[in-house]
Amino acid sequence: MQEHTQLSHKQINEDLLKDVLTVPKWWLPAVAFLGLVVLTGLCAFFFMVYHGLGVTGLNRPVMWGFFIANFVFWIGISHAGIMISAILRLTQAEWRRPITRAAEVMTVFSLIAALHTPLMHVGRPWRVLYWIFPYDFSRGIWPNIRSPFVWDPSAVGTYLIASTLFVFICLIPDIAILRDRAKKPIVKKIYSQMALGFRGTPRQWKLQIVAGILLSALVLPVFVSVHSIVSWDFAVLIGVEGWHSTIFAPYFIIGAIHSGVSAVAMLMALSVWLYGLDKYIKPDHFDAIARLLIVVATTWFFFFFLEWVYALYTLDSPDIALRELQALQWPYGPLFAIFVITSFVIPVPLWLFKRVRRSAALMFWTTILVNIGMWLERFLIVIPGLLRRTHMTFDWGTYHPSIIEILIVVETFAFVCLGMLLFAKVLPLIPLFDIKEGMVNRRLIKVGRRVVPATIREGLPHHYYEKKH
Amino acid sequence: MVTDPGSRVVEPYVETDNSVETRKAVSDSFLAIHNITSNRFWQFAALFGIMFVLGIIGFVMRLSSGFDDKAAWGYYVAVFAFLMTTSSAAPMVAIAPRIANSHWRRPISRAAEIWALAGCLNLLLYIPLIWLLPSLENGRRSLWFYGQVEGVPAYSPHIWATLAILGLVLLGLALVWLSSLPDFAVLRDQGEGWRKKWGSRLALGWRGTSAQWNWQYHRMGVVGAFYFMMLIFVHFFISVEFLMVHVPGWIDSLYPVTHAHNALQAGVATMMLTMFFLRQFGGYKDYIGLDQFWGLGKLLLALSLLWFWFWFSSFNVFWYGKKPSEQAVLELLVKGPYLYLFITIFVLVFILPWFTMIWNPVRRSVWGPPILATSVLIGTLLDRIRLYVGAWDVAGKSEMMEDMMKMKMSEVPTAIPTPHVADIFVIVGFIGGSILTFMLATRLIPVVNIWERKEMLLYKAEVQFHRTKVMVMGKPR
Repeated sequence: MQEHTQLSHKQINEDLLKDVLTVPKWWLPAVAFLGLVVLTGLCAFFFMVYHGLGVTGLNRPVMWGFFIANFVFWIGISHAGIMISAILRLTQAEWRRPITRAAEVMTVFSLIAALHTPLMHVGRPWRVLYWIFPYDFSRGIWPNIRSPFVWDPSAVGTYLIASTLFVFICLIPDIAILRDRAKKPIVKKIYSQMALGFRGTPRQWKLQIVAGILLSALVLPVFVSVHSIVSWDFAVLIGVEGWHSTIFAPYFIIGAIHSGVSAVAMLMALSVWLYGLDKYIKPDHFDAIARLLIVVATTWFFFFFLEWVYALYTLDSPDIALRELQALQWPYGPLFAIFVITSFVIPVPLWLFKRVRRSAALMFWTTILVNIGMWLERFLIVIPGLLRRTHMTFDWGTYHPSIIEILIVVETFAFVCLGMLLFAKVLPLIPLFDIKEGMVNRRLIKVGRRVVPATIREGLPHHYYEKKH
Repeated sequence: MVTDPGSRVVEPYVETDNSVETRKAVSDSFLAIHNITSNRFWQFAALFGIMFVLGIIGFVMRLSSGFDDKAAWGYYVAVFAFLMTTSSAAPMVAIAPRIANSHWRRPISRAAEIWALAGCLNLLLYIPLIWLLPSLENGRRSLWFYGQVEGVPAYSPHIWATLAILGLVLLGLALVWLSSLPDFAVLRDQGEGWRKKWGSRLALGWRGTSAQWNWQYHRMGVVGAFYFMMLIFVHFFISVEFLMVHVPGWIDSLYPVTHAHNALQAGVATMMLTMFFLRQFGGYKDYIGLDQFWGLGKLLLALSLLWFWFWFSSFNVFWYGKKPSEQAVLELLVKGPYLYLFITIFVLVFILPWFTMIWNPVRRSVWGPPILATSVLIGTLLDRIRLYVGAWDVAGKSEMMEDMMKMKMSEVPTAIPTPHVADIFVIVGFIGGSILTFMLATRLIPVVNIWERKEMLLYKAEVQFHRTKVMVMGKPR
């Protein structure tokens, strides 16, 4: 990083803990507003529980609507945490340091948002018991464990537990600092319990690092399995044209990474604006994440291209008719155009320009566009696929989301924002110990007239390297 | 570090050892190794030369058998696909870490690029295949919307596949040449005899000015990126036009990606074996060390796990869907005559590398990664035989065209076709020919990148850190 500001540990503590130990002016109104939106969403949900699913726009044959599209979207956003944190940690990418925590925390809240959407979708949330209990005890009708619907909650649940553990392990040294700085006895006591007696001994640091690396490596297969299984909810069906495609698992995952990493870039911009963290999140960080996004978005577009090419390659008329419905017919055609333009056509060419990549504002707006596009992508997978007229279906409705569905979907967005704000109030959104480690490891090398940033090489012990040259 | 009163820290620069003497010592030591050609080298070259001659005999025998019996060409296409999967993908080991600024690539990047020269042999193998590809006129499925979009020629697959493969070979040649430019200049300035002439002819007046270096980085980045894109494009073509279209009902949108991924995995395995031999027999023991094996080992570990994921993603959708056409494809390639072959491949390409390389001492050793790379390469060759021989066996059935339009296989073969002696010659000969091409190229081009090694002197330093010495690495943009 060329625009590095070398800071003392004291300065880092002061900068990054000021929003935890004090209350910014905008914080309370923002929390109150988001809380109100969440409350409205919950009221809509209870209204739906009381009156039944008839208050939604779901109708034969479209029995999956906004809720499921939203579920897939939030699962996608949750991939950001692991992508940024685990992969960049394992590859020792230095620029990860200020953004890992926010990404990990967003994973946890978006997973909770994702999980409660299908619960609402079933209309009667207590039916979740059928996930593990028989439909009928007396006849012993058990859920089909070969179904992705049964794997799904297991995978998402495992991912939630692993991500929470990951966040917690990475938080321990920072909680210890908060414990030492807290003034109120009750707050001090809570932080003390959470810090698990962390004092920064060499052994504790070693265990903390090993646990972080192990969890990074272990959580990666879980992260891949989660979205693969979500994709198989669709892909193993042969009854819905356009869903039965082998590419769905990698296509969903790369799409998730696209939307998730974009969401992290949004968070970075918000952190700079709301918390004034510009000493830590620099234009270079935006530049690095934009470069990553170019690669991710291009790969995603290649998968999108393959998915479409193979749908047309079959030459089957139902498949082609579905693609016509998705891309050319009202109202899905314009939505399709918006989806392609916002998720790829506008942002990627813009990111090719250094000025765009280094601007927090432009990165914020382009990544917002990506997420609008990626939400629409999920919508266009779910709804037109079900709307297609198929054999043996005796009636055809259409699908218009009701106000209840819209309120509940908006509630999920407010819930994630609220969660992030509350988290930032009690724990630092940028990992203090990681930033300090980066400062300690950092060196500078002069190459001619240029100054090149360097870092202490982690990995093989010193004696492994050859001595010559 | 020193803290100033404003709590900002004043950073001292780290001292690197980038003196003229050290840089010259690097050039001298590499040229000294490059200039010596041992007897063992010529013994191996003779062996691979004999193999290549057998390959040419097999090639002529296969050509003389004609193009009517497609089933007879299965093994031939398999070896073509295998070479596209290994030698053409090996340069990615130079391109990807270079883009990611990974320093461990430096001693092995040139060797990886030299494998692109073996692409010329792939081009030779490809030529007969143009006549074997079915035209679009018979109504077969294709990527080209023939008959739906006006102006699409019936020979679109032939045209585009040829252009793509030719493009890949040319980009490979350009990559090797561009990467070697500064080293050719070293040969010109410090070499002797024919090497000096060779260097001055290919160095094109390279003097190492700032402008030349800027262009060098720029061109290598662009050519590397295009090589990667073309590689993906070529695997997309091969996996569709030379594989899937021959099996009615096989519509696997993930397979082009799987094929390209197999290539990356086999490319890494190829490079692991290459650097093992360069280290053990090529005189580069001091330069190719654990760092390289460890770096590539981690890649192979990740790619082995991805192999399973890609395979399972396709298999699960086919197996779960229970569509008759897809069940027939599974019956052909997984459950039927190729079952035992498939199990062997599964063990060699996934189980063995994954469950051994997950163990750090294996990854961080000189012997572990090459042994597992051999396992991956054998597995990949068997996999290519399983897929291509199986697919071209189906293509050889007389009812194929009718089947293709109905999208189902009328009959699933029950046995694996026995290879003809010409097939064995082609398999052995062209693999040997590729290795021979690589070996001969290492006599013309320094197999370890001299300028990248010297460049590392700029970015590498040793510093005292508390009670120990640690390595500091610069990360330039």
